[in-house]
Amino acid sequence: MNGLTHVLTQVLVALFQVAAVAVGGPLLLGLMRKVRSRLEGRAGAPIHQPLLDLRKLFAKQRMRPRDSSWVFGAGPVVLVATVVAVTAVSPLVSASPPLGQSSDFFAVVFVLLLGSVLLALSALDTGTAFGGMGSSRSMTIGALCEPALLVAILAMAIAARTSNLPALVRVGISHPAVIASPARILALASFLVVILAESGRLPVDNPSTHLELTMIHEAMVLEYSGADLGLIILGESMRLVFLLGLFVNLFVPWGVADRPGVLFVGLGLLALVAKVCAVGATIAVFEVFTAKLRLFRLPELLAGGFVLALLGALTAVVR
Amino acid sequence: MNGATYSSFLEIAAGLVILCAFVTLWRRSLRAIVRTLAVQGMALGVVAIVLGVHRRDVVLIVVGCLVVLAKGLAIPTLVRRVLANEPMSRETSPLVNVPSSLVGAGALTFLAYGATRPVVALVSTSAGRLIPLGVATLLIGFFSMVVRRKAVSQIVGLLLVDNGIALVAFLATAGVPLLVELGASLDVLLVVVVLRVLAVQLWSKFAVLDLDQLQELHD
Amino acid sequence: MLAFVLLLIPAATGCVAAATPWRRWIGWLCTASLGFVLVTGVVLAVLVVHRPALSAFGGVLRVDALSAFMVIVIGAIGLLAVCQSVRYLEREVSSGRSSARRATLYSVLVQGFITAMLLAVVAGNVGVMWVAVEATTIITTFLVGYRRTREALEASWKYVIICSVGIALAFLGTVLVYLAALHAGGVTHVSLQWTSLMSVAHHLDPGVMRLALALLVLGYGTKVGLAPMHSWLPDAHSQAPAPVSALMSGVLLTVAFYVLLRFKAVADGALGVGFSRMLFVTAGLLSLAVAASLLLSQRDYKRMLAYHSVEHMGLIALGAAAGTPLAIAAVLLHVLGHGLAKAVLFLASGEILIVEGTTEIDQVKALLARRPALGGVFAFGLVTLLGLPPFSLFISELNMLRAEVHVGLGWVAAISLVLMAVIFGSVMSHGRHMLFGARPDGEVAHKSPLNVSVPLIGGLVACGAIGVLAWPLDTLLRAAAMVVVK
Repeated sequence: MNGLTHVLTQVLVALFQVAAVAVGGPLLLGLMRKVRSRLEGRAGAPIHQPLLDLRKLFAKQRMRPRDSSWVFGAGPVVLVATVVAVTAVSPLVSASPPLGQSSDFFAVVFVLLLGSVLLALSALDTGTAFGGMGSSRSMTIGALCEPALLVAILAMAIAARTSNLPALVRVGISHPAVIASPARILALASFLVVILAESGRLPVDNPSTHLELTMIHEAMVLEYSGADLGLIILGESMRLVFLLGLFVNLFVPWGVADRPGVLFVGLGLLALVAKVCAVGATIAVFEVFTAKLRLFRLPELLAGGFVLALLGALTAVVR
Repeated sequence: MNGATYSSFLEIAAGLVILCAFVTLWRRSLRAIVRTLAVQGMALGVVAIVLGVHRRDVVLIVVGCLVVLAKGLAIPTLVRRVLANEPMSRETSPLVNVPSSLVGAGALTFLAYGATRPVVALVSTSAGRLIPLGVATLLIGFFSMVVRRKAVSQIVGLLLVDNGIALVAFLATAGVPLLVELGASLDVLLVVVVLRVLAVQLWSKFAVLDLDQLQELHD
Repeated sequence: MLAFVLLLIPAATGCVAAATPWRRWIGWLCTASLGFVLVTGVVLAVLVVHRPALSAFGGVLRVDALSAFMVIVIGAIGLLAVCQSVRYLEREVSSGRSSARRATLYSVLVQGFITAMLLAVVAGNVGVMWVAVEATTIITTFLVGYRRTREALEASWKYVIICSVGIALAFLGTVLVYLAALHAGGVTHVSLQWTSLMSVAHHLDPGVMRLALALLVLGYGTKVGLAPMHSWLPDAHSQAPAPVSALMSGVLLTVAFYVLLRFKAVADGALGVGFSRMLFVTAGLLSLAVAASLLLSQRDYKRMLAYHSVEHMGLIALGAAAGTPLAIAAVLLHVLGHGLAKAVLFLASGEILIVEGTTEIDQVKALLARRPALGGVFAFGLVTLLGLPPFSLFISELNMLRAEVHVGLGWVAAISLVLMAVIFGSVMSHGRHMLFGARPDGEVAHKSPLNVSVPLIGGLVACGAIGVLAWPLDTLLRAAAMVVVK
């Protein structure tokens, strides 16, 4: 009986996390657009506008290019599925999520990578020039990001002596000194650079233009329409929220529910929403003042991220 | 200040010093690099102050404040004046591209850890463990002097070398005797003044900005 | 206290020179102050040669036989150079190349330069030594760039950048030595006093000392002009005014070497002689090789002299590597002999530049026939520097080679002999080109003014006299060598 309750609670927590991220993703996009608009002196669309867009897209007919294969359809689904899977097991609202034992930082990163790779493949699948260009650029950035991300995780893992995500968050709660250690700070700085690059924000990619010379992510999804496009937007926004949620929980873990109970989970949700909104708004403010980097300068930024992570790992080893 | 806070303050300040060294390689705008140098100078002063508070050593705290004034404010102002005199030199022109120099700097950091093992073994305090960061800053300074040919970049490289050495001196011995420390800081200030005079003369008389233009003397 | 007075005299002269507009008597006052330094050096040497060292200000200043000897070197060569500066400045001012204000600046800087070198050799504290050596860099930068031509500015830029970096490394080395001393077991009071470092030398951590000595050799070695850190040297020496080149080449290099000798003594206490011998042999042979290869095709006689200094610094590094009392005494004798001869040659080359208007070896011909006095001084200077008997450099080189063979560095002696032969050949051929030949028809032999040739000939005579009668210096050299050899 007790065991069953436990399992049920865990499932509920997982569902709750996924639901929160699924609703929160589009809302975060709306918030960031709103902040940008306000700073640029426009009124801007309401914050829930992306949710309305999604409802409209899901109601529309699905159009697929004539020569595309099943890969084209699989891309968006796998993208959303991978994000949902990692969201369910990660310490976002609760510090002890279901299947917490297997929620390894490396594993989470690679599962997410699966979604990105499949999206790039499905862009290639259409056979159009833009799709190919977009995937090629996106994979280049991915290839530059991955080493930085892995070394950053390594740095945090060495400092905390575990790469288990919930454990990493719990170490932060029980030993605040670990968070202030240079290893963690450097690794998280590198992590932030990677998040910006992976989710196609400025200064790496401009999510709000369709200028053919510069676009990266938008070029990949140019052929999608209807529910497929809805899935991609949903998946991307969920991924942004997931990564930012992970980032804030690793950096400022306070408020994460570290014991079961509706009250704690509720508090955890509130804390998460507040922290992610704060970071999201900061990024939006930063984007207002930043120009997009030239594509050829991107390696400089990402090499910087890599070196930060490397320094973090080094200081963690020597400690 | 208890042990844990002391060592994390120290780690963050020392980490900031090396981070600034990396940022000088990362950025292209010379103004931004000089700003970074100011931050580094201040972080260096904070290292001395934190050590001084921990050891209840008033002299060291005073030295720390002087370092903040000299390396955080005075020297960057001097270098900025050189920049103001050279309207043409806004950006560095590195011989090695930025990603490679960043990776090179990472390798130099590893080298620093390897080379200072006997020192770290001898000191064995929480401050002593950070000595390699100072040596790494020094090596990065060398590296940037070799791969950056603008007059201002060379001054920046020299200052990085000097900041790295000062960091080692603070961490390893909590500062050499005051007389020597003051002499050393004054010397650096004077060297920067000398370099500034030379850079201004080179630019105003011969329009030389880039040291590769200096090829008159060779065998 | 006497040591302090000694430092004050050039500093005070500098102040006087700064306060009054440049006149000829200022120049002679400066010369007199250097004469005073020389006399004080001799007095100090007599005081400390058989007695314990004198010290002042709680040991910050300290004079032992080695310091006294270095004071004599600075005094003797400084006297030559400052005496010639009077003529140099007069000519610069009268020809309008330089204003009286800049002449004042020159006099003040030269006096400051000499004060800084004196401070470096009488400092008992290795930190103060470092500060003094760094001060020489800052002061001489302006002297190197005194002529303000593009080449001169280039040379001074290189000089200050390379030497500042080098000297920064030397500071790191000093810090590491201090660190090792702090952690030496059973020591209660630690300071940067050289004597206290020597007393704990056996307890210093070998790992740290190895790193420290390597950094010190790199750092002060830059200032000494040892290869591969020598690249500033030919530029700075060829661009500086001749008296400044004479001072830099004759004394500044060896003052830096003096500091290195002191540290070598400390490090040898901790590590044994093996490690420092390896470093000094490497640097010495490399310097000889660099000098030999670049002298072969040298076209500029001032640069030729500069590379020749690199060679001699290599030789004294090899002598120091041998490290026996005989070797160190020979090194010190070599320091004095090379300083005198090189100063004379640089001053003579300054005169040649003035009368011939070029520094190209190819454009200077038949000096002996056209200008017998100047050519003669240059010729004898070259002969001295190449180490031919009876000049003192012959004795010191011979003794250094003997010491090297004696401690089992025979192969080093052999290699250095080969390289010296190469250098001998190339310098001889350059010298022959400049000196010999027939006087062009219609040109009469020029006479050099008395005040040019007398100091130069005096310097050469001193060099020869030291070679023939080692007597008054003999005891001092032995005592000085015993300071750094245990």
